[in-house]
Amino acid sequence: MSIRHALLGLLSQRPRHGYELRAAFSAVVGGEESWEVKPAQIYMTLERLTEAGWVVCESNLGEGQEPARRIYAITPQGHSALQAWFGSGVPSEHQRDPFFLKLITAVVAGEKDLQRILQVQRATLYRELHALTALRGRLDARVELAQILLLDKAIMHTEADIRWLDFIEIRLDEICRQPIPQPELRPRGRPKKEIQPE
Amino acid sequence: MAILKTNQLTKTYGAGDTAVTALDHLSLEIAVGEMVAIMGPSGCGKSTLLHLLGGLDTPTSGEVWIDGQNLTRLNDNQLTELRRRKLGFIFQFFNLIPVLNAVENAALPVTLDGMASQQAQAKATEWLQRFGLGNRLKNLPSQLSGGQQQRVAIARALVAEPALILADEPTGNLDTHASDEIAALLRQVAKEYRRSVVMVTHDPRIAAYADRIIFLKDGKLADETVLASQPAGAVAH
Repeated sequence: MSIRHALLGLLSQRPRHGYELRAAFSAVVGGEESWEVKPAQIYMTLERLTEAGWVVCESNLGEGQEPARRIYAITPQGHSALQAWFGSGVPSEHQRDPFFLKLITAVVAGEKDLQRILQVQRATLYRELHALTALRGRLDARVELAQILLLDKAIMHTEADIRWLDFIEIRLDEICRQPIPQPELRPRGRPKKEIQPE
Repeated sequence: MAILKTNQLTKTYGAGDTAVTALDHLSLEIAVGEMVAIMGPSGCGKSTLLHLLGGLDTPTSGEVWIDGQNLTRLNDNQLTELRRRKLGFIFQFFNLIPVLNAVENAALPVTLDGMASQQAQAKATEWLQRFGLGNRLKNLPSQLSGGQQQRVAIARALVAEPALILADEPTGNLDTHASDEIAALLRQVAKEYRRSVVMVTHDPRIAAYADRIIFLKDGKLADETVLASQPAGAVAH
């Protein structure tokens, strides 16, 4: 899973405590608005990484005014896990689409105004595209290029989603005339013995 | 305040059984400093609409109001004058004159309107410099990239200080990077220089720069999406 390995990567830079790690994660993924991770999730992930032996935890008693904190550091096993992650591909999950789920549910439920569902979605995507474009325009390509590339990805995919809605709109009536996808029927129990031809 | 208003705007081509309604009782308003994108499938009436707004074609019925003037009541001379002073046009293929340099092209509308050549060129230079073409003033269109040519065309559209810019697929002939630059520039024209911009486009990415998208289908308003709210007092409706 990506978050786990990203935390490993940040720890390979230098040992950090949980709060610091969360802030560093937020900074590299383009802020909390683009990928929010709750503190509980960070601590749970660190616990799992510790159990797996990828990370060790040292208690820091704190010097002077500093409070005691748990400092996490990457282990050699952690390093090889990180390398394995760098060496593997990341599958895209385009077929798992929340809007498609809404639309097909509307078809199944016999919803009359599918057009409206498409229009609302289109408006939502255009507003997102407008906000992304505006945000991109405010970034400085000389120092924030990584964030710009992330926004480019978001812009390209949002644009593709809008074009996809246009495709759906054209064929909406046709979709409604076709049978609703049904679960495959699997007979229960032992399969019947096939009768052998004489 | 609305700079542009249409009232039940209708355009029919042909007559009788073969009549085609390109635009069907369309009413809309565009506020000062607002950027609006017109979208829709080919044949939806978006080009017809742009031609009617620009006084390049006359409606079968209905009215177009620009800055308080009813276009449908103007005679040819008045219409020409309004087009020259209140409207700026931007096209897909830039439509620059090949034998004139950037400054001469950008100065053309005010030169034709009788402004002294030196003054006209000074105004054109000012706009070209704002659009980052200060070092390309004497270049011919053939010595400029597509994006640069379109920036000259936008300077030409603005040189007479019009209230409204009409753009027909302004990025249709440009690559993605130049398209983004031109769309951002048109947004700057609306927001910084307070001109209203009406732009026909089929590109979602370019439409997303607008404050509002109007979707046409079969000559009618099919849908409308507000992307950015207008400051109080500038709302179109």
